[in-house]
Amino acid sequence: MDILGYIWLGVQAVFLGPEAFSILGMSISITVMMVLSGFLFGIVVGATPGLAGPFAMAISLPILISVFGYSPDALLPVLGFLIGIMKGATIGGAVPAILFNTPGTPDAFMTTLDGFPMAQKGQAKKALRVAHFSSASGDTFSDIVLFVCAPFLAIIVESYLDLPEKTGLLILSLSFIAAVIGGSAGKGLISIGLGLLAVYVGTGEDFYPRLSMGADGLSRGFPITTAVLGVLIIGAVFKELEEAWRETGQNRPAKVPTQSGDQKLHWPDIKRLFPFIARSAFIGTAIGALPGVGSTLAATLGYSVGRARHQKTKAADAPSFGDGTPEGIAATEAANSAVSGANLIPVLSLGIPGNAAAVFLILAAESIGGFNPGPAVFRFSPDVVNPELVIAFGLFTCMTIANLFNWTIGGVFMRSMGFMINIPKTLLLPAVLLLTLTAIYVQETRLEAIWFALGFGVLGYVMRVLTISPLPFVIAFILGRSLEETARQAYSATGNDPFFLFNNPIALIFILMSVAVIIFAGRKPKGTAP
Amino acid sequence: MKNLFTAAAAAISIAASAMSVQAQEWTPPGPIKLMIAFAAGGGADTQARLIATELENRLGWEFIPEQVTGKGGVNLLVEMQDEPNDGTVIGMIVTESLGYNLYTADIGLTPEDFTPIVTTAGTQMGVVAGAATGWTSFDDMVAAAKGGQDIRFGVMSQRLGEIAYLLGKEQGIDLNIISVQGGRAVLNGVTAGDMDVGFMAGIQAPGVEAGDLVNLASAMAQPLTQTPDAPTLPDLGVDFDAAAVFLFAGPGGMPEDARNAIAAAITEVTSDPETEVGALIARAFGGPMNIQGAELDALVMRDFADSEALIEAASE
Repeated sequence: MDILGYIWLGVQAVFLGPEAFSILGMSISITVMMVLSGFLFGIVVGATPGLAGPFAMAISLPILISVFGYSPDALLPVLGFLIGIMKGATIGGAVPAILFNTPGTPDAFMTTLDGFPMAQKGQAKKALRVAHFSSASGDTFSDIVLFVCAPFLAIIVESYLDLPEKTGLLILSLSFIAAVIGGSAGKGLISIGLGLLAVYVGTGEDFYPRLSMGADGLSRGFPITTAVLGVLIIGAVFKELEEAWRETGQNRPAKVPTQSGDQKLHWPDIKRLFPFIARSAFIGTAIGALPGVGSTLAATLGYSVGRARHQKTKAADAPSFGDGTPEGIAATEAANSAVSGANLIPVLSLGIPGNAAAVFLILAAESIGGFNPGPAVFRFSPDVVNPELVIAFGLFTCMTIANLFNWTIGGVFMRSMGFMINIPKTLLLPAVLLLTLTAIYVQETRLEAIWFALGFGVLGYVMRVLTISPLPFVIAFILGRSLEETARQAYSATGNDPFFLFNNPIALIFILMSVAVIIFAGRKPKGTAP
Repeated sequence: MKNLFTAAAAAISIAASAMSVQAQEWTPPGPIKLMIAFAAGGGADTQARLIATELENRLGWEFIPEQVTGKGGVNLLVEMQDEPNDGTVIGMIVTESLGYNLYTADIGLTPEDFTPIVTTAGTQMGVVAGAATGWTSFDDMVAAAKGGQDIRFGVMSQRLGEIAYLLGKEQGIDLNIISVQGGRAVLNGVTAGDMDVGFMAGIQAPGVEAGDLVNLASAMAQPLTQTPDAPTLPDLGVDFDAAAVFLFAGPGGMPEDARNAIAAAITEVTSDPETEVGALIARAFGGPMNIQGAELDALVMRDFADSEALIEAASE
């Protein structure tokens, strides 16, 4: 079967899968419905300050798995829903940022800089339209890059990298993530180290459960769900609860000024915004393709580049960046949305997650089984159908469908979400905590899992207090096993050569780069006091 | 009142269908926890879940499947040993779990601490190479090794590693034995060229059919059904059988009526090629193999005792 054949099978897997219902004899597949519901749910979640995409993905995953089961048929509906959330949350985050100066998701912070002043000037609807248009454009561009790049990257990795090089590549990604997430290489390394320590409890080849200190509960290791949800979600809930407790009594303005003037987005506007969107979409995609560098950096970079350009070209009486200009919103939203497609490039082609959303996609694939993101997915076997490749193209189809929903109904739905600001965090956070713990118990069905999750939650809280990013911990937890396995296999494959990482030129380059990246990131910028 | 009637009618119909399918004295006193020692989504996991679904449909028994993976089934055995032995907790493992793996784990447990219930299917374990190696027979591989080529041999358990080592030793060649998690990882490794050859337990069939893979030898005492001309392990001087047999077991001391009823029910659905699970077993695992009772006890004890001999042979 050739490439086109596989693409066609992937499209069919989405549209001809199990049927949800039929209209006028046309059957609507359950996967399409799941993408739509995930997308709408994502917008709601994104528009709610205090909730972000990963929360929604964490809570819905176990519920979805208990509905759809563990069969290969479950993969596309579940992953489709998660992809919908990922995309919906990205555009939803701009709503409270523009209307109330409160970013709905962390990456929408830069949107407040121009969105809120525009709303103050009575241009809220227009600001929301600009945000939606830029976000959808950036997202679509990034997806196209993903569809083209991921298969090629995977094929190159699979045909040129042997086991020692793959080990080197995993080490390089971990050190890169340590260096770029959180702003301090030292803290990143601590986070990575703790993640590796946790995943190595109770696992390994030997029949003796290592690092379990003789405790039966630890002999099976920590389930991946407890570590990921504990550190990422429960830790964040603890931290937010603490902040909500400290902020009690402080009121935030929740009033939108009267709107006036032309709120529509016209063709000349689009033409004027287009260069800003294009530049930011490119920046966002390039940054998203690197594991670990998040959408916040992309938004900042897109905004700065846009501002520099804007100052040179703007008319003398037009508002500058920061005073409420549509270009500012466009530059931010195109950049942070372009990250979401591109950061699936390392996930699908190498199995390396770069952000929280990717972590949950891997978690879903791992829980259901039958799809292991990594270079082996893109094996275009001509005679026997490779089911994982069909799923991969099914995922691409889901992303395209989500984009279509985004262009058609996303804007209208998003503009109606302004009221979500009124939901108090003090009600929201306990609900999230309860749902997360229930979700963990549903999937693990043993009480120890709850204790593990709470323990990881405390760890996540402490890390946040000490400003250590918890994301490297989670990524290390996910990559730890494949790092160990690949290293063991490389060692055996080279005839028990303990220096396999150094006797192979490409692996050696990867190792030198890993060291260099840490040293480079750890260096203080010139001019600052030691 | 209406609800009560509906409930009563449902209960009667369930009871009637259970009796009509199979007149049995024993019924489980509650939902059955089905522990599965295999990763979600693979062939073995699918087999376990399909058996549960089919029994739910036929007998109205209720199953709660749960993954307890790791350490070749030993994690499952450790977890299961203290569970109630009234038939409400069973686990799906391979005979190797109660044999070599339990022996090597050395945690003070023997097969006598468990109740083997019934086997469902064997595996068509072969020594399989990628077509890219250019080898068409086992002798080609031996010749390549003697010509100085490093041979990477993928295995998915420690016991298979020992057998691979013996296989190399008998031919006078060195093999770089690579241990991976699960049969699919061997298949992926061989297909991607990370390994030259490896043990595969039936997963190779479509690839061999298509010409992407080659069955160099049977890793069992009997020939492969797909490639009957390939040499067997005894032909190659190794007196051990690498085949794995899927096995349902429960905690030790399970009452005979529970054990027999579960064994009979599983035998009925796995040996029926009309069922989804029967079709899967016929397609992927070379047909059903239902051993139970005293014969199964003897098989499990022999495997456990053989482990010592295998380890001794491999460390000579």
